[in-house]
Amino acid sequence: MFIEVKNLTHVYMPGTPFQVNALTDVSLDIERGEFIGVIGETGSGKSTLVQHLNGLLKPTSGEIWIEGNNLWSSKTDLRRLRSRIALLFQYPEHQLFEETVFKDVAFGPRNMGVEGRELEERVRYGLEWVELDYHTYSQRSPFSLSGGEKRRVAMAGILSMYPEAIILDEPTASMDPVSRKHFLARIKRLHQEGKVTVIFVTHNMEDIALLAERLFVFASGRLVLQGQPAEIFQSKETLEAIGLGIPVLTDLMQKICRKGKTIRTDIFSVEDACREIIRSRREGVG
Amino acid sequence: MRSLTLGHYLPGNSLLHRMDPRVKLVSLLVLIIALFVIETFLGFMLFGSFIFMIFLSTRLPWRYFFRGLRPVFLIVLITLILHFLFTKGGQVYVRWGPLTVEEAGIYLGSFMTLRLVLLVTTTVMITLTTSPIAFADGIEYLLRPFRRMGVPGHEIAMMMTIALRFIPTLMEEGDKIRKAQMARGADFETGNIFRRARNLVPLLVPLFVSAFRRADELAVAMEARCYRGGQGRTRLRELQARPLDYYGLTTVTAILVFIILTGV
Ligand SMILES: Nc1ncnc2c1ncn2[C@@H]1O[C@H](COP(=O)(O)OP(=O)(O)OP(=O)(O)O)[C@@H](O)[C@H]1O
Ligand SMILES: [Mg+2]
Repeated sequence: MFIEVKNLTHVYMPGTPFQVNALTDVSLDIERGEFIGVIGETGSGKSTLVQHLNGLLKPTSGEIWIEGNNLWSSKTDLRRLRSRIALLFQYPEHQLFEETVFKDVAFGPRNMGVEGRELEERVRYGLEWVELDYHTYSQRSPFSLSGGEKRRVAMAGILSMYPEAIILDEPTASMDPVSRKHFLARIKRLHQEGKVTVIFVTHNMEDIALLAERLFVFASGRLVLQGQPAEIFQSKETLEAIGLGIPVLTDLMQKICRKGKTIRTDIFSVEDACREIIRSRREGVG
Repeated sequence: MRSLTLGHYLPGNSLLHRMDPRVKLVSLLVLIIALFVIETFLGFMLFGSFIFMIFLSTRLPWRYFFRGLRPVFLIVLITLILHFLFTKGGQVYVRWGPLTVEEAGIYLGSFMTLRLVLLVTTTVMITLTTSPIAFADGIEYLLRPFRRMGVPGHEIAMMMTIALRFIPTLMEEGDKIRKAQMARGADFETGNIFRRARNLVPLLVPLFVSAFRRADELAVAMEARCYRGGQGRTRLRELQARPLDYYGLTTVTAILVFIILTGV
């Protein structure tokens, strides 16, 4: 087992009037190479959860195990762990600080002790992955970039650590539709070709339905549903009750199905949906 | 974030919470004067029990009270030690090589310590029960008579309000940036002092950038709403003194007068 969360509870500012129970008794596990979706409405504890997975937050109670080792036992090298399980925060453009894009992207690997040729290679890889031209951008100041470019530099700064697992906290928030689609496609490739474990936090069902192999659904700090997207979307009422919905396509397929047609409901792309609807109509006629 | 208790507001609904901020500020001033007028331990005891009763009525947790005292603990301790060792006079109690602890030292040391502790306690109690916004409003009002002398009361209050408003925001932001850099392997915890200072760069640069950005946005937003200082400006919540406030003010004034007249 790659990552195991056991009875995790997290309380912010305990013992004050501002106390928040952000997570309550959450247990889950994640296998190496999985593509995990974490969904839940605003304030449901998603960001709190993912910050536990690489030791940025310490559990109030409960345990995190990485490859069979307790994360908060004294032998864990947290800094090394954080380069293996990388976390890209919500609005990462605010973390840039160096004089040049190169130096900023190199910050992570340099902290791991990477120098010289290898460092340059990693920065190049990171920038190429986010489709920023190395020659044009590497010597520019990160503060002179547009918001979208800054965000890409931040992503490059994470990828240059060559992580085994990557946690993305609402990476597509405030992206335009084209960049979003593009970004999702690249993440998918990173997962399939790079064999990187991906943990994708979002409250956008459409994003996650196409990509994730398994979903964890959170509401008010509790893990309320888990399973494959198709299974999860069967519980439309539960999802709506906790402020989420199901993808438009799934809703459509489920409605057709309820009309008595034989049609698959585990379809998440427009192309597949078209094909399935046409197939089902033909069958109905024939 | 948790260490900022001196001046940290705790919402509540006690008498003290509901009092007018102007009255609270003036009362605080009167009480501080009273503290410096007191000349006997009996006076401190009376004063202390008054503060203690008010504190009970606010139903604030004791923890906060002690936490508020923590920053001044060292000062109090040093005062005590200095007086014990260096104020001479009266009977000698302890002799230890060249050092002696004498009667006057113990007397003055305890006296000063009591005064300091009560001073901080009273102030902490007022700040814990007054929202920063109310505080700024109160100060603006109280500074009004000095406007003719060129004291920009409104501007001072506005600056205070804005600063107070952004302290938690900046702390939150600092916390987020710290975590984001730690996720990239930054190390804020080890190394000698120079190394640590240098390691703060990844934290401070984004924090300053964001503070300036926020300041800029705020300035634009204020200008867009035609803000141009205090002149002719009305307010959403008018400060209004109620009977409770007059009772409070009368009580503290009575205490001051009592102390002066009886000389306790
Ligand atoms: N640093 C903090 N201090 C105090 N409370 C916090 C802190 N961070 C989060 N919280 C609170 O904990 C709860 C869970 O927050 P969290 O950020 O994990 O939610 P989220 O699911 O990521 O929400 P969003 O979709 O808005 O990002 C919220 O009620 C939030 O107000
Ligand atoms: Mg979040």
